[in-house]
Amino acid sequence: MRLDFSYKQTWLHQINPSFKFILIVILFIHILFIHNINVMINYMAAAFILYVAFTGHPWKRLLIISIPFVLLFVTSSASMIFFGQGENTWLKWGLVHITEESFLRGLHLGFRGIIFATLGVVFSLTTRPVYLFYSFMQQLKLKPKYAYSFMAAFRLIPIMIEELQILSYALKVRGVQHQKGVAGFFKKLQSYSIPLLSQSIRRAHRIAVAMEAKHFSATTKRTFYYQIGFSKFDILFVMYFAVVIPASYLLAIHFPYFPVTDVRFQ
Amino acid sequence: MQKGLKLTDILVTIIIALIFGVIYKIWGPLYGLISTFGLQAEQLIYGMWFIAATVAFLIIRKPGVAVLAEVAAAHGEFIFGGEWGVTTLIFGLGQGIAAEIVFAAFGYKRYNVLVVSLAGIASGLASIGIDFYYGYIGDLAVWNLLLLVGFRLAGSVMIAGIFAYLIVRTLEKTGVTSLVRPASNQDFKALE
Repeated sequence: MRLDFSYKQTWLHQINPSFKFILIVILFIHILFIHNINVMINYMAAAFILYVAFTGHPWKRLLIISIPFVLLFVTSSASMIFFGQGENTWLKWGLVHITEESFLRGLHLGFRGIIFATLGVVFSLTTRPVYLFYSFMQQLKLKPKYAYSFMAAFRLIPIMIEELQILSYALKVRGVQHQKGVAGFFKKLQSYSIPLLSQSIRRAHRIAVAMEAKHFSATTKRTFYYQIGFSKFDILFVMYFAVVIPASYLLAIHFPYFPVTDVRFQ
Repeated sequence: MQKGLKLTDILVTIIIALIFGVIYKIWGPLYGLISTFGLQAEQLIYGMWFIAATVAFLIIRKPGVAVLAEVAAAHGEFIFGGEWGVTTLIFGLGQGIAAEIVFAAFGYKRYNVLVVSLAGIASGLASIGIDFYYGYIGDLAVWNLLLLVGFRLAGSVMIAGIFAYLIVRTLEKTGVTSLVRPASNQDFKALE
């Protein structure tokens, strides 16, 4: 099976990976302090614009990637909607107790989940792991032994996936049947994880020995094949959020969707 | 004797972590599917997200491995486009540090099922702590919150504790663990 994973380079690809990473972590922390559902909805729209318009991937692929978002929305919001605290009761049925407050809080959590997911996927779709680790080494002074271990490990993932495929065929051919329940789950976990882990550990060990034999050293003074620096696109990325965040607050104040400014239980 | 983790330790830890990173990624949709049953049933499988730290520590048995493994696994999940995005990294860091603290408390000298289960519980508590800010779980009805905490910790013990221990015990029979573990006193005695 050959996967076509071609995409167009956009300005999001040109941003310095470490910078993009740190900015997204900062956004994460900021989003944790948003308790106003109206701001959250506007924020989500801003994240969607990046996702839909600027990742450079074809829309069909974007659509497929976003399918789990629906599930994510349900997971993040369902228990809060059904079992959250609140006073303005809408529905009470056995253990389920839906109130206006819990409903909005649930939606808020769902939107929050989707913003994180969107920003995370935007990052993954526009950042090549190799560049990310080269950038970590150059801008954030990550020790080369960690960065190269990560890059070597990423290269091994296709091999592991192939092994997994072979393993499942082998189990099928030998007529292995899985039982149900916790014991069955453990048996299944074991029959896959032991061969995968043992092969991978052997391979990792061989690679490490080979790297050391070729004088891979822990010195921090080294040259890099990819020189990763900064560009005007970094400023553009900051500007984007510097515009959309105040805008989502302003819009939330002047054109609120729900008459609630704090979804937490008072 | 070199201080800290050697290249071999790091590479092996990260590869183990990335295998679990792939599992973590698959776990997302599964978690979502189970959550549709309601009543916090999905919390019973939450413990899978703590397993990288305990398995990696049990295999390599060195300080720092648990944190590195959990962060690397979370990073893997993030790079593979996990549904929770950056959230994963913050949770991974918290959970890894929590497990590491438990292993450190026993001087990195105990590898039994009890210690590993405690590490699982510590990771679970760390994740619950972050969820207070991230998921407003303090605003759930009390019985529901207790259900969530109980199920999540039970799942942690089951998966990150007992399953991790059993997997590594089986793995020991294949002989690969001797490649990466530091020589123990028993090994030195065997030489005499």
